[in-house]
Amino acid sequence: MRTSISVTVNGSARTVELDQRATLVQMLRETLGLTGTHVGCATGSCGACTVMLDGRTVKSCCVLAADVAGQEITTIEALSSSASDLHPIQRAFVANQGLQCGYCTPGVVMSTLQLLQENQDPTPAEVRHAIAGNLCRCTGYQLIVQSVMEAARLMREPAPATR
Amino acid sequence: MLAKEFEFHAPEELDAALGVLGNGGGIVKVLAGGMSLVPAMNLGLVRPDTVLSLNHVRGLDQVEDRGDSIAIGAMVRHDRIAADPEIGSAFPLLATAARAIGDVQIRHRGTFGGSLAHADPAADYLPVMTVLGATLRLRSSDGERIVPAREFFVDIMLTDLGRDELLVEVEVPKQPDSARSAYVRLARVEGSFAIVNAAAVVDEGKAAIAIGGATGAPVLIEPDVDLSGGLSEEALEEIGDSAYEATDEAFGDLNSSAEYRRELARVFARRAVQTALGQRDGGPE
Repeated sequence: MRTSISVTVNGSARTVELDQRATLVQMLRETLGLTGTHVGCATGSCGACTVMLDGRTVKSCCVLAADVAGQEITTIEALSSSASDLHPIQRAFVANQGLQCGYCTPGVVMSTLQLLQENQDPTPAEVRHAIAGNLCRCTGYQLIVQSVMEAARLMREPAPATR
Repeated sequence: MLAKEFEFHAPEELDAALGVLGNGGGIVKVLAGGMSLVPAMNLGLVRPDTVLSLNHVRGLDQVEDRGDSIAIGAMVRHDRIAADPEIGSAFPLLATAARAIGDVQIRHRGTFGGSLAHADPAADYLPVMTVLGATLRLRSSDGERIVPAREFFVDIMLTDLGRDELLVEVEVPKQPDSARSAYVRLARVEGSFAIVNAAAVVDEGKAAIAIGGATGAPVLIEPDVDLSGGLSEEALEEIGDSAYEATDEAFGDLNSSAEYRRELARVFARRAVQTALGQRDGGPE
């Protein structure tokens, strides 16, 4: 059965027609073409589909799209407009090789954003707790933690003056 | 992949939700946080005819201090249970249990009532509600029932909840100031379901311990020990033995055999009491 819902996606009000069985990540990827959010397991285990719902990270494979009517969704696409305009978290991941295959990365970055909004100066242990819901099958966790630590530094310190 | 066709309802009023539940044809599944239901639907393990979401029903997400008790709405999410100052002060073991659930994203979406109604035998809240003597408020179009947690959980994912009933609220009695409590669990990896967990309340020399994960429903033990003079090795032995004896209907699965679960029940009943009395760090095992 088709249904129509109104949501705010990355700051824009959208009315979306979709199959009411669709999960949130299916709506984002297949109806809205926002393919930055990935689907790994579809069972809430891997975190590749992590997005923010009303400002709180959720696993979008385990939320029905029809159930978020009226709510606000923020995806990885909201973080930067182009490769030359990366968010500090993304710059830190690039600089520290915080990804190998990159499949889990959009979810890890969203979890990092959630952490750094709440805790500007996390310890490595706090970083590990914060990304516990994001699996990296390349097992690149050391470099991911290093990237998050640098992202925290970048976001704490004012950008250096440019000449 | 899409699930089988289903009717979807997301009412804003409780009466409307109860109406759907009373009149829905076929298999009606109640959707709270969806952290267990939606994966099961994605895998085709659950194929409901009707999905009734409670996410927009008003009034189910309150935490209310009622003097001698705190009432917690069914749709209060885990991250709030973990952080709510009233809950943390009255029931620190409940906050500990909430912090152990899943991961950040799951705690943002999953709900207190959803976990209780789903009744996974290793769910973190089950022994906590059992040992604290909580009561569950079940509503239907016909009225309401108040059921003690100690009677609500029947077996693996089986509760006393009727087909036309919704769990709307849990009332948890405050403990005396002199009471000490703890929640402990064994899981292989952070975020995993526990294999065995235990919640203890110690007061006036007596200990009550609820053990989850070993049997289909939590078991409550009140060992014949006197802890008023401290926790002796003999008392600890007795607590462990009581836990072992009470879990004679333990189940086995891929994680561990029934006999291993009974031995864990012994160990974690002891640890729960030791942690409650400050003789052991209750951190992740």
